[in-house]
Amino acid sequence: MNEPNKNKSTGEGASDGKVIRHTLFDRLYHWTMALAVFVLMGTSFLPILGFKFQWVDIHWISGVLLAVLILVHIVRAMVWQDWRHMMIWPSDIRDIFRGLIATFSRSATPPARPGKYNPLQKLYHLGSAVFVLAVIITGLMMMLKIDTPIWRRNPYVFANTTWGWIYALHGLAAMAMVTMIIIHVYFALRPDEFYLTKSMFRGWITRKEYKDHHDDQQWKA
Amino acid sequence: MFRYSKSIYGGQEQLIGASFDLLSWFAVAGIAFVIVHLVAAALSKSRNRIGH
Repeated sequence: MNEPNKNKSTGEGASDGKVIRHTLFDRLYHWTMALAVFVLMGTSFLPILGFKFQWVDIHWISGVLLAVLILVHIVRAMVWQDWRHMMIWPSDIRDIFRGLIATFSRSATPPARPGKYNPLQKLYHLGSAVFVLAVIITGLMMMLKIDTPIWRRNPYVFANTTWGWIYALHGLAAMAMVTMIIIHVYFALRPDEFYLTKSMFRGWITRKEYKDHHDDQQWKA
Repeated sequence: MFRYSKSIYGGQEQLIGASFDLLSWFAVAGIAFVIVHLVAAALSKSRNRIGH
């Protein structure tokens, strides 16, 4: 298995000084997923915090939407995109440690410029993937306990102890998403990362931002 | 960390989910990460400034 680089052009260059980072499809996916996640968190945590309303239907419909979006994302990443851009390679682990050491030591070797995504973004993606897949899988199981237009509820599919673990895992993963979202919003608002936030709206970064922040061998654009 | 309930027919306590008291701890963990990163980034920036 090879790191993403060398012979394959994976970025999309534009002649007017813009480097395409996120296609319209990817941006629509990102913002629809963000909307679904916020609706899911609102409909799960607001009732716990004391805001009572009929949340179940909004919650499971948003959950199904999120599940479909994630499925589309997985297929798209595996088939049409270069999934290796998001893999954590040994060089990423090395650069995470180099970055940590460089924070405290001036003489340390700084981390190399990353490809399309830096090692911390890849680590964040991996963590989010674990938590989102956990909430989706357990959430789909929990739907067996409610009536939907497709099926009638059947709570006897699993034993009570199994249901307990499914609910526990769903809750823990959902609460972990709160931590992940705080971290995500923080990085999105940081001035040194803001060019990436802008690219999630307009789709591109400038050629200078590309050259300043990225390794053009790992992310060819 | 978990919520338990006892059946109306008695018997052992049953696991029914995660404790939502943890919600604030997960939020605090996110805020703690932000603070640690802000400090580390400021430290790194000041070291680079001194180095140049």
